[in-house]
Amino acid sequence: MQTPLQRLFNQLPMVCLFLFIPSLTHLQAIDLLPVEERRNGRETLDAFEEASKAGFRSTVRLVSKGRTLALGTIITSKGHVITKASSSIGVQEATLADGTSYKIRTMGIDKETDLALLKMKRAKDLSPVTWSEGNDPGEGSWLVSADPTLKRLKVGVIGAKSRPIDRIGGVIGVILGRDGEEMGGVMIQRIMPRSAGATAGLENADIITSVEGQKVTAREKVIELVGANDPGEIVDIQVKRGESLLSFRVTLGHRSVAFQMLDRNARMSGPVSKRKDNFPMVIQHDVSLPPTAMGGPVLNLDGKALGINVARVDRVTTYALPAKFVRGIFKKLRRPKPKGE
Amino acid sequence: MRTFQNKLFFTLVTCLTWSVATLAKEVEDTKAWEKEVPENKQDLLAIQTKLQSVLTKAKEAVVAVQSGGGAGSGVIVSKDGLVLTAGHISGRPGRSVKIVLPDGRRVDAVTLGGSEISDSGMCRIKEEGEWPFSPMAEKGKSQVGDWCFALGHPGGFFEKRGMVMRIGRVIHKRHATLRTDCRLLGGDSGGPLFNLDGEVIGIHSRIAMTDDANFHAPIESYHEHWDLFKEGQMISRRDLQKGGFLGVGTEETEEGLKILDLVKESAADKGGILEADVIIAIDGEPIDSQEELFIVVGSREPDDEVVIDLRRGKKELTITLKLGKRPE
Repeated sequence: MQTPLQRLFNQLPMVCLFLFIPSLTHLQAIDLLPVEERRNGRETLDAFEEASKAGFRSTVRLVSKGRTLALGTIITSKGHVITKASSSIGVQEATLADGTSYKIRTMGIDKETDLALLKMKRAKDLSPVTWSEGNDPGEGSWLVSADPTLKRLKVGVIGAKSRPIDRIGGVIGVILGRDGEEMGGVMIQRIMPRSAGATAGLENADIITSVEGQKVTAREKVIELVGANDPGEIVDIQVKRGESLLSFRVTLGHRSVAFQMLDRNARMSGPVSKRKDNFPMVIQHDVSLPPTAMGGPVLNLDGKALGINVARVDRVTTYALPAKFVRGIFKKLRRPKPKGE
Repeated sequence: MRTFQNKLFFTLVTCLTWSVATLAKEVEDTKAWEKEVPENKQDLLAIQTKLQSVLTKAKEAVVAVQSGGGAGSGVIVSKDGLVLTAGHISGRPGRSVKIVLPDGRRVDAVTLGGSEISDSGMCRIKEEGEWPFSPMAEKGKSQVGDWCFALGHPGGFFEKRGMVMRIGRVIHKRHATLRTDCRLLGGDSGGPLFNLDGEVIGIHSRIAMTDDANFHAPIESYHEHWDLFKEGQMISRRDLQKGGFLGVGTEETEEGLKILDLVKESAADKGGILEADVIIAIDGEPIDSQEELFIVVGSREPDDEVVIDLRRGKKELTITLKLGKRPE
């Protein structure tokens, strides 16, 4: 004879089962929008035909050792290509959507906009982008870009105000702790793994005594002196470790990369561009592109280019540099440098 | 012969004109955004124009919600300043939060009720005024396939950038969750999802890594508990589990909420409910989802008497029974 409690106990596994049955059976009756009909689904993309043809014609893959590092935008029929400079370091070839490859040479780099001008060697009769002449078409306007395979498109809309993006200086990649005269400097409380500082040899509990030859005793001063330099630039750091004084040359990193692990949004965003700050003007859109798609054109529904994608910022944001600026940079970089400069 | 040909010609012309007319009418009637997929540039432009026609107005009512540690988004839905946000943003009722209006102005607000189950929440702006607000879509209006757009402050409120808009479609809709391919990010939580009529159809809740895994609390979850939320009541799972217990495993079907299994000796079993019965209502409240059943039963006390309307085959019947206690 079982007590009611024992009976209930025996039934417990079944109770748990009940909780699962509904969700399982629901899967069969699920009303899901087919993948093809979603925003980036194949059937939806068919409607973007005009823009997609133009996009594939005037975009190249920039390849190094078989890997696509970035995309490029064809500017002239003779194979001038503009791309994102910091993403395309070391590229050797430009490959068209049809698979034709050209050797390339770099004609110039504009640090301010992070654009590079490349030339596809012995190229002719290519299809350069047609720039959109109108004003900023405004939030909610459809946009199209090729993905890094040059086989598929991604679509989205302009999603925020067009605006300049402020500069963010380079970082050592440390969290600063106690500071002051009696400390004799500023303590490194935590050094981020694989950061610029870690690579250079800095360690937790080191006390930073000087930056670029200037004595420091306050956190703000360290931040100011370091941040005056861009990522990629080298900064001299002196630290006290125990009794010894040590000097390090630190090649600064990008803030968003160094502190990525502390930032939940960064973790949810997947790969992003390293340089995503300091642009004179950007169009912000939600076309979902990986960082290797930067450098390609972003087109409107007529297949006219509004600009060039210059930074994948996070899960919801891509920046494009407007056509006006791209054309300006092209003119500037195309002009051969006067001798003796 | 001649007359016959004439007649034939006339009939043909009439037929043709008629069919052209119907065709034209159909084209006119099927709006681009109501098609299964947009077919061409014209359709895309129509969607774009429709979206842009409601965007400016929609943006006026979108706010950032700032409290202690975190920041999220929200949307004003009444002239006197009721703000919908996510349950995990508003949190406990009666807390003070700051509401940041689109122009950067900050006003004080207090959190009201919400539901842990759908992640819905509510606040009220304390300051008196006539606030810009967006209408809420009626219950059941949003459907799988609808074009929609998300607004919010991903990463926090930045005046120079303003709020961020993303486009997408409703991928899936269940009682307590709506899924779209409008990509979201932290800081968006609590922000509104709009249909192309400029009505709020959902509130951003959570994401998974993939492009099209963005989840929102459907506007229906606010309609359903409107008064409760306004009074500052929280619907939490734990509270409901302490309440009454019926003892049924159910499935949401076309016909309604169907009983799959019964816990032996439970209130349902003892009260005479059978497998395959369909629950229509409890104490006169229509029930068509597991969440509704969970809430209605859980908000009663064990030993409370409830009146259950059921459908058994073609018969409808009413059973009165005493609720039990959830097994520990």
